Order: sequence, then structure tokens, then C-alpha cells
Amino acid sequence: MIKANHLVKWYGPTLAVEDVSFEIPAGQIVGFLGPNGAGKSTTLRILTGYLPPTSGSASIDGHDVMRQSEQARATIGYLPEGTPLYGEMRVTEYLDYRGRLFGMDRTKRKQRMEIVIDRCGLAQVRSRMIGQLSRGNRQRVGLAQALLGEPPVLILDEPTAGLDPNQIGQVRQLIGELRGKHTILVSTHILPEVEKTADRVMIIAGGQLVAEGTPDELRQQVRSGSRVLVEAKASRDVVHEAIKQINTVRKVEIQLKNGWSHAIVTPKGNADVREEIGKALLSREVPIREMRYEAASLEAFFIQITDTRRSQSTTQESQRPKLPHDQTPQV
Amino acid sequence: MSQTLTIAKRELSALFFSPIAYLVLGIFTFIVSMLLLLTQFSPGFPAEIREELTWIVRLLMFVAPAISMRLLSEELKEGTIELLMTAPISDAQVVVGKWLGAICFFGVLMSPILVHVVVLEIKANPDYGPIFTGLLGLLLVGGLYMAIGTCISAMTDSQLISYLITALITGGLTIGMYILSVVQWVPNSIKNVLYYINVDQQFDGFSKGLIDVRNLLFFVSGIIFFLFLGVKMLESRRWR
Repeated sequence: MIKANHLVKWYGPTLAVEDVSFEIPAGQIVGFLGPNGAGKSTTLRILTGYLPPTSGSASIDGHDVMRQSEQARATIGYLPEGTPLYGEMRVTEYLDYRGRLFGMDRTKRKQRMEIVIDRCGLAQVRSRMIGQLSRGNRQRVGLAQALLGEPPVLILDEPTAGLDPNQIGQVRQLIGELRGKHTILVSTHILPEVEKTADRVMIIAGGQLVAEGTPDELRQQVRSGSRVLVEAKASRDVVHEAIKQINTVRKVEIQLKNGWSHAIVTPKGNADVREEIGKALLSREVPIREMRYEAASLEAFFIQITDTRRSQSTTQESQRPKLPHDQTPQV
Repeated sequence: MSQTLTIAKRELSALFFSPIAYLVLGIFTFIVSMLLLLTQFSPGFPAEIREELTWIVRLLMFVAPAISMRLLSEELKEGTIELLMTAPISDAQVVVGKWLGAICFFGVLMSPILVHVVVLEIKANPDYGPIFTGLLGLLLVGGLYMAIGTCISAMTDSQLISYLITALITGGLTIGMYILSVVQWVPNSIKNVLYYINVDQQFDGFSKGLIDVRNLLFFVSGIIFFLFLGVKMLESRRWR
């Protein structure tokens, strides 16, 4: 449904998007993740036909976004970053105006307007001027206009930016309700949002796609960043020596607090080292107060992978980003 | 076509929403009425609005840019251009729609003239031929100035810059051309050309009651040229 083929975008001397390719099948909800300035908005603007790529191509529903721009645009409902709207128009006026621009006839406009107003929770403010609306309500108007023409493709750029947790939840729920009816590409830098709704996640950093997969797949990759926390009553050296001799342990850090050694154990790969640690310590008759397995979150993965990109771009290295334990992400 | 009219309609209502519109309307109505009273509205003078129209055309050099300055500049500034340009409409529809909206506002701005015609009708027996051609000429001048303004406003997101550059061009087309055509060192062949692109001169025929095809062609081709340029300006925004 959405296809991007080696997209490259230069803004003068600045490279914003570097060779981004992906394909989104119909009906999927895809989260587009990345830190600010990673090239998310630029990529989305290329897909919506607002900006041309410097090289590469993209198509929506089989229509090339540059050569068959109007057909491609007719299939997209778009919420741009920052939700730019005409402040002097009333909500219903604005939705009617957008409906006309999309060539909808009178009956269809009226009918769809009622549906999206209801769906986006705008009933209370329908005859208010957009300029007087709160941030959250403006965002809803933006969503409503994107949904108005029942487009097969929805491209939402940061739909939850500036909203409170309650409103974020509502937007997330709304996107969830649209599942199956639209192909949705939603950009954000808020992770939980994506983890809960998206079928697939693409992470962009420094203008490049650095990871792609279902939220579960990505979490699998992160598990290698997990660690075990141990509190044992012995000196640092004893604990260190006991844990270090386990083959599957990569790193041990120990701090002594009130006579208890607090050890942070990083295993090699995906190994679960709790059993070995227990055995090793008990064989030395070291009492254990606590042992806890800590799985790394998608957030940790995100930070790690995007941080790597950033430091790479500053040192001008052209290596692939490194995952914890030097695993290359399965892109 | 209907999308173009949709844009024109929104533009017109947006123009009426801004306080500057009422300011322009008020000041313009006052000045125009003064013009009529001071130039011709006395016993013994011919019952016509020729003098008034000539002065209005000169005034328009600076009034028209105030209407057109916000057309696309504001969209560029507010970012609303992004939703406009990602709607399934062509850049030409956007430009022509904006221009039509501005023309409609221009029509409203000129409406006091109709009142003056009614006053003339009550007090005297005006000749409707020159009045009609004069108003047609006025509409063409407005159309040209709005086309220039639409084109310039597609270039910048600053309304002030949009106003100044538009006023420079509209002013240049009358005052500039006039000055150049009286300067000694300009060769006569060029003076003839300058004479031809002088808006004041082009309008003169209309105010006398003449519809000269050459005058008509000047305005129509000027409008088409600047609208075309405006579309190209808007298109080029995509490439920056």
C-alpha cells in the first residue's frame, strides 16, 4: 500500500533522509519512531507529496507520489506535524471546506462530518472557532479532517504531541479502532504509544532506517541487554570471583553497601545466568538476599540504537549501529 | 473547478475576518468619496466618474498589495500550506482560487463607486458607456495587481515583504514607467515599449469609453503571465 524506494533527501548541504526503503502492506498499523530531527517528518512529507525526494521514489496504492501526485494524495488522510489549521474557521466550516477540497458531494460531506465529529469527540466544540480551541481539541480537528474522506491510507505525524496522558490514551484508542479499515503510518517519539497499537515498528535515526520489526521482535533483540541484580553478603572480591568464573557472564559490577555486595551481572547473549550465580555463591556459602532478572525495555533499545547513530554521525563513521552485545539488528 | 471556488470562498471569508480588510475598506471608501466630491461633483461638470477612476487606479498601486499580501504568505507562515498542497488539487487551482478570492474582495472594495453612480443618476444624467468601460478597466487593473500580488505572496512567508515587493512592481508599472519615459537618455524605441506597459496609459482608453483590444490584451496577458509565474513559484517551493 505504501512503498518507499531508496528515498534520499538533501536540504541544501544537510542530508535529512539517507536511502530509506520500506513497504507497508494494506491494513497494517506501522509506528514510525525516531528522535527529533531524525528524518521522520521529512519522510512523511515525501510520502504525502509535499516534498519531492532528492532521489528515490515512493508510491501510495500504486500511484507514484511525484508523477501521479493528485491520485496518490486523494488516497491519503494526512495530519501534519503541529496540526496547522485555519484559526478563523469554525470546526464544522473547516471540515466542510476540507470535504470540498477532496471533491466530496454534499450528502457525503454531511454524513462523514457527523461520523468524524462523533468519532473524534468534537461534538462539544463543533461550532467553536478553531483558533480558540485547546491544543488537544485542535489535534482532534486535525485527526477528523484526516479521517473525513475515508482515505485508505492515514499518515499521522506526531498525533499525540502536546497532549496530556488522558488524551494520548484516547488518540491511541482511536487509532486502534481504525485497525483494518486503513493502512496507518504514525510517527512519534513516544514508545508506549507504538508498543500498544502498532503491528510493526520502524526506527529511523540520523536519516536512516536502523531497525524494523514487530514490537515483540524488537523486544527480543533487546533481551540481550538484560541483566541480573544480586545482593550477597560477602566481600566484593569473593562475590566477583564467584560470578566471574561463570562462562556465560560477560561483565560484573559490584558495589558494597552496609556489608552487602550489590552485583550487576551482564550475561553473554541471551543466557539466563541466575541458576549459575546461585550455585556459585551457595557453593562458597555466601548468603543471598535478593536476585532479580531485569529485562531491558524497548525504550532502552531505542535509546541505545539512536544514540549509537548520533555518536556515529558525529565521528563520521559509516558502520551499522551496534546492538547490545554487538549484535547487528535484523533489518 | 469547484475546488478552485472552494479556495476562493475561503479566501474571501478569511479576508473579511482580518481587521486589515476593514481598515482598507474604510480608508478606501473615504478617499474615493473625497475624490468624487473634489474632482467632479459640482454643477457644470460632466456627469462622469472618469477622473475618479483614474485616481483610483493610481491609488490601487498601494492599496492592492495590502489585499494580496496575505494570500499565500500567511499559509506559508502558519504551515497551513502543507494541508493545502497535500490535498488532491493542483497548484494552479490553489493559485487561481486565491486570486479569485482576492478579486471578489476587490469587487467589494470598489462597491462605493456604484453608490457614486447612483448619486450621479439622481443629480444628473450620466453617460453609462464610459462608466461601464471604466469599471471594466478597473476590474482588469485589479485583476492584474492581484495576480502580481498572488505571485509575490507565493515567494515569501512574510506579509510585509510580500506587500513591499508587490507595491514596488505595481508602482513601477505606473510611476516607474512614467519617469523612464520622460528621461532624456532613454532611446525612443524603448520609450515606446515603456509607454505600452504603463498601466495608467493602458487604463486611459477604458476610462474614455474605449475598449481597445490592445489594452484588453495587455491586462489579460499580464494576468495570465503572473498567475503562471505564481504557480511556478508555488511549485518551486516543493523543490527547495
